[in-house]
Amino acid sequence: MTINSVFLQLLTGLQLGAIYALIALGLTLIFGTLGVVNFAHGALYMLAAYCAVIIAGKMGFLAAIVLVPIMLFVVGIALERGLIRYFYNRPHVDQILVTFGLAIVVEEVVKWIFGANNIPFKLPAWGNGVAFLHEYIPFLEGFVVFPKWRLILVAVSLLTVFALFALLQFTRFGLIVRAGMREPEMLRFLGVDITKRFAIVFGLGALIAGIAGVFGGPITQVSPGVGMNLLVPSFLVVVIGGMGSLAGALIAALMLGMALAFTAEIASLQQIIIYLIAVVVLLGRPRGLLGKKGVME
Amino acid sequence: MTDHTGNNGWSRRRLLKASAAGTAGLGALALNGKAPFHFVRNAWAEEAIGNFPVKGKSVVFGFNVPQTGAYADEGADELRAYKLAVKHLNEGGGMLETLKPSSLSGQGVLGKKVDYVEGDTQTDPDAARTSARRMVERDGVIMYGGGSSSAVAIAQQYLAQEMGIVFMCGLTHSNDTTGKDKRRYGFRHFFNAYMSGKALGPILANEYGKDRRAFHLTADYTWGHTQYQSIKDFTEQQGWSTVDNIMTPLGTTDYSQFLTAVLNSDADVLVLNHYGKDMNNSLTQAVQFGMRDMQKNGKDMQVVVPLYSRLMAQGAGASNIDGVYGTTNWNWVLQDAGSQAFVKSFEAEYGFPPSQAAQTCYAQTLLYANACEVAGTFYPPEVIKALEGFEFEGMGPGKALYRAEDHQCFKDILVVQGKGPDKKSGEYDLLDIVSHVKRDDIIYPVDTFAGELGPYKPA
Repeated sequence: MTINSVFLQLLTGLQLGAIYALIALGLTLIFGTLGVVNFAHGALYMLAAYCAVIIAGKMGFLAAIVLVPIMLFVVGIALERGLIRYFYNRPHVDQILVTFGLAIVVEEVVKWIFGANNIPFKLPAWGNGVAFLHEYIPFLEGFVVFPKWRLILVAVSLLTVFALFALLQFTRFGLIVRAGMREPEMLRFLGVDITKRFAIVFGLGALIAGIAGVFGGPITQVSPGVGMNLLVPSFLVVVIGGMGSLAGALIAALMLGMALAFTAEIASLQQIIIYLIAVVVLLGRPRGLLGKKGVME
Repeated sequence: MTDHTGNNGWSRRRLLKASAAGTAGLGALALNGKAPFHFVRNAWAEEAIGNFPVKGKSVVFGFNVPQTGAYADEGADELRAYKLAVKHLNEGGGMLETLKPSSLSGQGVLGKKVDYVEGDTQTDPDAARTSARRMVERDGVIMYGGGSSSAVAIAQQYLAQEMGIVFMCGLTHSNDTTGKDKRRYGFRHFFNAYMSGKALGPILANEYGKDRRAFHLTADYTWGHTQYQSIKDFTEQQGWSTVDNIMTPLGTTDYSQFLTAVLNSDADVLVLNHYGKDMNNSLTQAVQFGMRDMQKNGKDMQVVVPLYSRLMAQGAGASNIDGVYGTTNWNWVLQDAGSQAFVKSFEAEYGFPPSQAAQTCYAQTLLYANACEVAGTFYPPEVIKALEGFEFEGMGPGKALYRAEDHQCFKDILVVQGKGPDKKSGEYDLLDIVSHVKRDDIIYPVDTFAGELGPYKPA
């Protein structure tokens, strides 16, 4: 292996991990705070991608970047108030069934309106083309290129992660939400309206799916099944990282991305590698890499 | 006099009637040695197979198409075509006017109205078998058809042979369907990967030169495997070399790790053995990786998609397919009488032109119905014999032959090139016909592929 190919594979692993992280982040946030296993998260991604391709086509890509996450935030709040809140105190199996059912309904409705065919999602002119990495990185030899859009996706993913960390660690809102995760009863005694915060957290999870849909859409393309396809690896990321752990999800996403990138040429291994990692990690550490003690153990 | 019915619902009178009828029936059997069938034509040879004999005033066809999964777009279009075929069989119109020789009347088949049931294969062999079995056992279909995905078609073909129900394949392009997995009860009108390779190889060499280095990305199932083999063989015959091949799982959404491997190699041609949404994703992402704008080995890098369809081209977008070579079974712009009759009636019904998947399913339904008329019966072995070696025209350009030895239909196919946004004249005008490849140029000896058809009567 040359230095060029190792570097390109590292970069591929990083950007694959970035997409998984972006979707897993919303999943794990909702589980960590609300204790809800949200199988409709893939459907939210798919909805975001459809909204993005339509808005980008009519009003330009920048409008999609601004509008789609806001729209998904509203959808998230409506979903929490209208459906999910009735399932907070029910077993995980009930939550999985209702959110999975919801995902199927959303998928079929979208298919009914837009058809099953793929809708081409063109990149905006400023994100199109490739970056000539050999011009910036001195140790690369010769000619090394990578799609600009994938680099943008990595940056967006990192920004989203930092913003979410900051929100939860350094704001009063974050403090209350974190306290609510530990002792919701006590918070209610102290006169804090924790229910309102929980609705906002679910909305935030949906908003992150919105960001993922806008930036991931031009890569994964826009078709009714796209959410389901991404849900499985993203869910694995959450489980390997430890249910509810943001940092764990990040590490797991990166692990899976790298594993996929470096096994690309060994088909038999490539197709099972992420499940293999899941098995090994969970055998050694049933709660996941950074999972809290007692959660899903 | 009244019947006195007991608690068990049987009166003495009814019991007497029933036993008298039973004795008479047994007596008739004892005299003839078999059930009295002498009022049915050709009855001496015809025993019950599958859902034969057909009872009632209608005959039921089963249409098992992917309504979900990676090939759902094709499935939806196939279903439209099937419904149109049933309409034409019952009321006339479409290719019924152009098929020659034809015994179809446009008033049903063998005096029975054609009815249909539909199923979802989910682009999955197991789901397809379950759905097909339900059609056979519950709905009593005499024939079933559908695709896409060769793995699904082959699974259904084996089931057809077991159950004695004729299976008219929809879109399936693997060499195995009429090669190592051919079955007496399965028939394929669609072309295959071998013909694609034979048609495409010389054109690629002519266009891109003879010293090219190809990297293949291949869908990891029967179709992908045989297409990779055929394209590899025919391009290597032209002097190309094959750098590498990576098998990718069906339904992959992100191909970046595989495309990185292509970038890392010294290949100057990327061959995408992908279909449907897989191709939409892999081609779009290859373009994003700059593979249609870069130079390798001092030559412009090229992308080839050996099996093309108009639906796929639509999903991938005109700017991505601009100039990309591939092959197709049929295209709606063809001007022969059969194609035009079909396109016009399809457009009148649905408002847009049909895909190649639709055309093959439509043709298959008519061909089966015609074979029943020719045989004068729905008895499967006779229908199969009527289809074997059937030569016809008026379903597309040129003459077509259903070869008896492997149940593969041979006819003209098309080498096409994607049309860019500035070249297309409408939403559905996406493929430019580069070459019209004649049947005689793509036909191959029967022993090219191993496999046995199996018996006329299911074991």
